[in-house]
Parts: sequence; C-alpha cells; structure tokens
Amino acid sequence: MMRRWLLPLLLTVLSSPFALAQRDAGYDAVVVPQNRIDARDLGYPPIDVIPNGDSAITSLTVAPNGNLYGATSGKHSYLFVLNPRHGYVQPLGVVPEATAVANAVVVASNGDVYIGTAPAGHLLKYVPQDEDRQSIRIKEPCAVKDLGMAVKGESIAALAIDREAQIVYGLTAPNAHFFEYNLVTGAFADAGVVAHSRPEGEKFETQKVFSSALILDQAGNVYASGEDAFFYTFDKARRALVKLPIQVPAIPGREPWTCAESFVRDAAGFIYGGTSDGYLFRFDPAKLTVQNLGKPLLAPEITALALAPDGKIYGVGGSDQDMARLFSYDPVTAAYEILGFVDVNRRPYYSWQAYVVRAMASGLDGTIYMGESERVSRLYLLYPVMSNAR
Amino acid sequence: MTFAALKSSSEPILIRRLLFMILTVGLSLSNLFAAGTVTVDYRLFPGLAEMDGNWAALSVASDGRAYAGLACHGCNGHLVMYDPATDRVTDIGNLTHLAGEANLHVGPQSKIHAKFGEGQDGRIYFGTHAGWWYDYARVGTREGYPGAHWMAYDPKTGKVEDFGIGSRFEGMNTGAYDPKFNRIYGLTHPRGHFVYYDVATGRSVDKGRMNNFESICRTLGIDDQGNVYGNIGAGQIYKYDPRTDEITELPLHIPVRQKGISLGRDYNKSETHWRTLVWDVATRRFYGVDESASLLFSFDPHAGPYGEVKSLGQLAVEAMKDSREIPYATLALALGRDRKLYYAVPEKEFDYGGSAGVGVSHLLTYNIQTGIKEDLGEMRLPDGRRVIGLNSADTGADGSIYFVGAIEVRAESGRPVESAGTIGGVPYRLALVIYHPQRSTR
Repeated sequence: MMRRWLLPLLLTVLSSPFALAQRDAGYDAVVVPQNRIDARDLGYPPIDVIPNGDSAITSLTVAPNGNLYGATSGKHSYLFVLNPRHGYVQPLGVVPEATAVANAVVVASNGDVYIGTAPAGHLLKYVPQDEDRQSIRIKEPCAVKDLGMAVKGESIAALAIDREAQIVYGLTAPNAHFFEYNLVTGAFADAGVVAHSRPEGEKFETQKVFSSALILDQAGNVYASGEDAFFYTFDKARRALVKLPIQVPAIPGREPWTCAESFVRDAAGFIYGGTSDGYLFRFDPAKLTVQNLGKPLLAPEITALALAPDGKIYGVGGSDQDMARLFSYDPVTAAYEILGFVDVNRRPYYSWQAYVVRAMASGLDGTIYMGESERVSRLYLLYPVMSNAR
Repeated sequence: MTFAALKSSSEPILIRRLLFMILTVGLSLSNLFAAGTVTVDYRLFPGLAEMDGNWAALSVASDGRAYAGLACHGCNGHLVMYDPATDRVTDIGNLTHLAGEANLHVGPQSKIHAKFGEGQDGRIYFGTHAGWWYDYARVGTREGYPGAHWMAYDPKTGKVEDFGIGSRFEGMNTGAYDPKFNRIYGLTHPRGHFVYYDVATGRSVDKGRMNNFESICRTLGIDDQGNVYGNIGAGQIYKYDPRTDEITELPLHIPVRQKGISLGRDYNKSETHWRTLVWDVATRRFYGVDESASLLFSFDPHAGPYGEVKSLGQLAVEAMKDSREIPYATLALALGRDRKLYYAVPEKEFDYGGSAGVGVSHLLTYNIQTGIKEDLGEMRLPDGRRVIGLNSADTGADGSIYFVGAIEVRAESGRPVESAGTIGGVPYRLALVIYHPQRSTR
C-alpha cells in the first residue's frame, strides 16, 4: 500500500516550489557572469536618490584622483560622483537649465569638473569641495559656475578635454559645431562644423548625422565623425578643423547615416570606435588608417566603450529599442567575447537588467563603470577578468 | 536518493519520514481544503483546443457579450466572443492574420494579455502580445517578434481595425483602455515601458521604463477621471495623469509580502506588485490583490493628496493563509453585482502547462459591504471534472461571473483527446467558465 503511494508523493515533492529556489540556470547563461558585476542605486534610496525620470546616465568620466563623475538626462539633469573608496553614488544636485548632459562631463587635471548642457548649451564648471562631508543634494541645484554658451543657439552634444593643454573641446547640436574652450583664458572659439547638411531621408529624419563623442590622440589632436561618416580632426598645432580622407566603417552606401557613437583610446595610441551600425573599428591616428573589426553583436549600435587594464576593449551594444549586451575585444587575439545581458542578480536587485547603456568609463583600479540610460537607471560596476599573459 | 534506493531495508522508516515531511510542509493539500464544491457552467471554444493559456484577457461589453483572448505559444492567438443571448461562441480571428503578419514568418501574435476596453463608439479596444521569448535571444532579430499591435473590434461591422505596432519588438504585457480619453494604455514586455495609443490622433507614445522584465505590473487601473495607476518597486503606486501627460510616483504602497522567500517565482522577481484590481463605481475605489500572497486591499485614489490604501487581509483558501507556499495570485478577480468580489484561486501554483501540479480551483468571495470572506469551494463542472485554474474574470450583465482558464479533459472512448497539453499529467483545455451567483448550488 505504502509503495503504491510513494512515487506520486515523491514526484509531488520534486515538482513543488521548493525545487525552484533560484533563477533558471538557462538565464544565468545569457547574462554577464554574476561574480563580475554589481550595481549601485543613484544615491540612498528610497528618499535621497536621483528620481526616476531624471536618472538616465548619459555621461561618465573618471577624474585624475579616481573619482567617477557622471551626469543624467531626463526632466532634469543631475551630477553625481562615486568615490571608489566609499563605493556609493553621491548625487551632487540638479544641473541648472539642463535636461540632458550627453557624453559631456570632463575633469581637468586640477579636479575641476566641466559639464556641457542641453538644450541650453552652456558650459558649466563644478569645483569639488570636500564632497565626502557634503550631504546628498536631491532637487537642489548643483553649485556650478556658468562659463557661458559655447555656440549661440546650440546644445552641447559631446565634450573632451586636453588636460595638459587645459582646453575643453566640444560638439554642438543640431548644427555640429566644433568648439574649444580655453580653461586659462576663459575664451570660446568656434572652429567650424563637421556636418553641413542632413542626409537624404524620410520626413521624420530631421537631424544631421555626426559623432556622439570626441576623442583625443596622444598628441592632443581631437577626432570626430561628421557628414558622410568622414573623420574630422581638430589639428592641435594648426588650431584648425580638418576633414580627413577616411571614413567610419559602413556598408557601402550607408555612409550618410553612419556615425561614431563611442570612442576609447588604448595605451599604444590606437583609437577604437563603435558605430551607429554596430561595427567596432580601430583608427591609427599616426597613419590615418581605419580597420573595420566587424560586428560583435546582432545589434545596430555600439553605444559605449571602455578600456580594461589588460588592453581589452569592453563595449555595450543595442539600440534604444533593444536589450543591451556587453562584449569584449582582445586586440592581441583579435577575438570577441560576448558576455551577455547587463544584469545584476542579487538582493536587493534580484534580476535587474539594464536595457540601454549609453556611457562607460574605466576606473583607475580596473573597474569598468556602465551607466544605464533609461527612465529607471542604475550604475553598474564590472570587474573584468584580466588576461594573465599581459 | 533514487526511487530504487528507497527499496532498501530501511524503506518503512524512509517512507514514514517522507510522509511526515510532506504533511509537515503542507504539500499534500487536498485534505486541507475543507470547503465544499461549487458547480459552474462552461463553454468550450470550438476548433481552438490547442489554445494553451489566457491571462487577464476577458471583458464583458455593455451589450452583454464577453470577449476573450486565447493564447497559443509558438502559434497564433485568437480573439473570441461569447454572446449569452444566442449562447454562441464566435472565433473573431487569428491575431497574426488580423495584424497582417501571416506571411512574414516572424514571431506570431500569440496573445492578448490584458483586459479589453469598450469605447464610447462601441468598439472593443486591446493590444496583442507575443508567446515565446527564447531568453530574449530573438529580440530585434529577423525572426523575432515584430511588436504588439493596437487594435479595435467593431461589433457593428464585425471587423477588426489594426492601428499598427506601438513598440517595436515588444509585446503588450499589461493593458487597459480608457473611454474618457479614448486611449489604450499598456506596459511592454520585456522592457516594462509605460506606453499608450491615442485613438483620436493615432499617436503612439512611450513614457519610458517602469519595471524589470520579470516584474512587470500585471494590471493598470483607471479611475473615473481617466487617471492610470500601476505599481513599481515594493508595491508603490504610480499615477499617470492624461491631463499633464506626467507619471508621478506616489508615496503610497499596497500591502505586499516582504521579499526574501526563496520560492522560484519570488526569487526571480525584482519587484512586488498588485496582481489585479477592479474599479468599483459605487465607492469610487479600486479593490485588488497583491501577487505574492493574495493580500486584499482597497485603494481610494480620491482620498487625501495621494489617495488612500486600506489592507483588507488575505483572500486565500483557509489552509493556505499565512502559508509560505500560497499559490501565486491569479488575475481572476471580478466585482459582482451583489457587491461581492469573486476571486478564483488554484490549489497549486498555477500557470497552465507550467503549473506545479494539478489541483482544483476554489472560488472565494469578499463582501464589500460586510467584509465577510467566504470560500464557496472547489469549482467543478456539472459532470464533476475539475476547474484546474483560472486567470481572468469579469461580470456579465445578468450578474453572472465569467472566467477563462483551464478545465480538465477526460478521454472519451473512440474519440481523440482534444487538449492544449497537460497540467500535472492531466489533459486540459481552455473554457469560458460561468458562475451564476443566484442559481449555483454548492
């Protein structure tokens, strides 16, 4: 009698919810390894946190002292800092008259932080002052100095800095002006535009196409992609904007709608870029050559790139309508590794996943920071596996 | 330990231990459900035996007709209608065909995953949804799901109008229609965006992310002013005001069971929300249940600056109250014309083919006026077959309570079994289950 009941009872036990105590292992296989990733709320929830709707991280940069600075976009833009020794995000207040700060936070050699705003188009300066002793400021204005408007009527769409020369460079939108701001003299200069007209397209396509980021080579020349995917450089010696005879990789014919979405420079001076069509490329500024390294993902964009200490390039791809995935590229082996969805599966986040990532930065200790860029967003910390052979 | 290993000399001890453990943890539930039986009526969906699920998609229109969305994983979902006046079920159409995607060979329109809404023009508004997600490996790919369609069925013409895709690659996980502003609202899957389609202007609007993919709030509530409410985080209520087009996260929470119970479903959920809620015109408030422990609450959106939530206890079968293993809340909640809430709860964790085992659904009531809760008992068909689980509900014009869910299928000699699959080894198929409060015997 007992035996007749035993198997059904055993099956009942095995099929009960007790058998489902963890996330399905199949899903673990499609996300970033969980011992290599963590997340941070943007402040101290539930009160002292950058509000949902204002929290899309669209700028990240690492200061000379290792602090991470970032800015958000939304109904309002917020500035924040993360001191790696403390490990949490400290909101620094609302950036005045800004709803977006896109790839437009840079830090000078003395630690001063420069912020390029949209839509107002002002360059702002934030001077860190004993931040560890400051209380978190939510909804209060960030204490910044307004350095003025870079180009009248234009938003700031990207910034880069030459710390040695003490010059901030920028791109504006919608008309793709390249400008410089001299930190010593406080003067702006408009060097011209990298895109003169918008490409042929449908009625709803109203924007000029040019790069979402700027990058400097080791000599201090600045690069952007402009109209028809051509590279432009701001020649440091000549103080002039020059169109180069090389283009960002694209399927032949798609150049008018192609731009560089992200850049990073390695220790050897090569510049890596991610395109709006999802190609990774390597640009040699000394030889003015571009190598298409292919597409790591089945996704239309590479939205952010960062360099690991072992020389690997880490990137995130996926459009605003997609689900972002992380990959790495090893320049030594020329191999990609697809690391999966950007997901942190631990309390209190459980299976929280970033669907859009539009900013990355490399910490001095090798941590790679990733900024989620959605209505509800968090900062992600990636601890890359280092190649021992380097 | 294998079954063979149990056949050792220590078998009697092991058997006793096993039985004791099972009884202790409460997994052998059948003897704990002491309530009686409630006999319910039902109607099958002819020719649609392969339809394998229904979630929320059941609404009764002002003319008394009941509309349901039948889901089919890996195949096309169907929109069906039941007319009680003629006692006839009509298959209005295959959703992939209605969306004009029959020849694209892309992810099918497999579901309607939310309630329908009736417009002032008499049309029935809804959005479509996908079936399989393949761990999101196909999102945005050539063979992947193209995106949910906004649609309207016109009972006068019998035609479905397709308004097109709102969010590319995403399904309409949750939805609600507001006749006041003539909008279909939704929460997308997998990215949890709050979206709407403005019927008058033809605009599709995306207000951004609200939830994580495994925690998308399953019901949007709309009050009599056209404000839309949902849940984020640990039961926090947010409000969308169509006048300002703004989402406000209110300092207001529904009662939820604290996270940390490592059942599979809880561990996988980043957030905890209401599972479903209904609007009571008389008291101008919502009644709903939380998803994790079926905690009943009322939410008056007009009280005070943000509204007021009142906890009304747990709406559960007596044996499952305060139990760790209480099944995940269903979407089968309706407010009857007798001022009672009707809530169908499964005996075991229920999700059609993904259920934890086969059991019998119970029908619970909560009297809004007296606060009395009652378990009407196991829901069984007139021939004694089990109503295994239900996941949508609405109230008919005559006070009948309609549900859609899984009923047991028994083999008949000489005829093939028509089923959608099995639950705990028992064949099941979808049916419209009808409870007549005034006529039913227990």
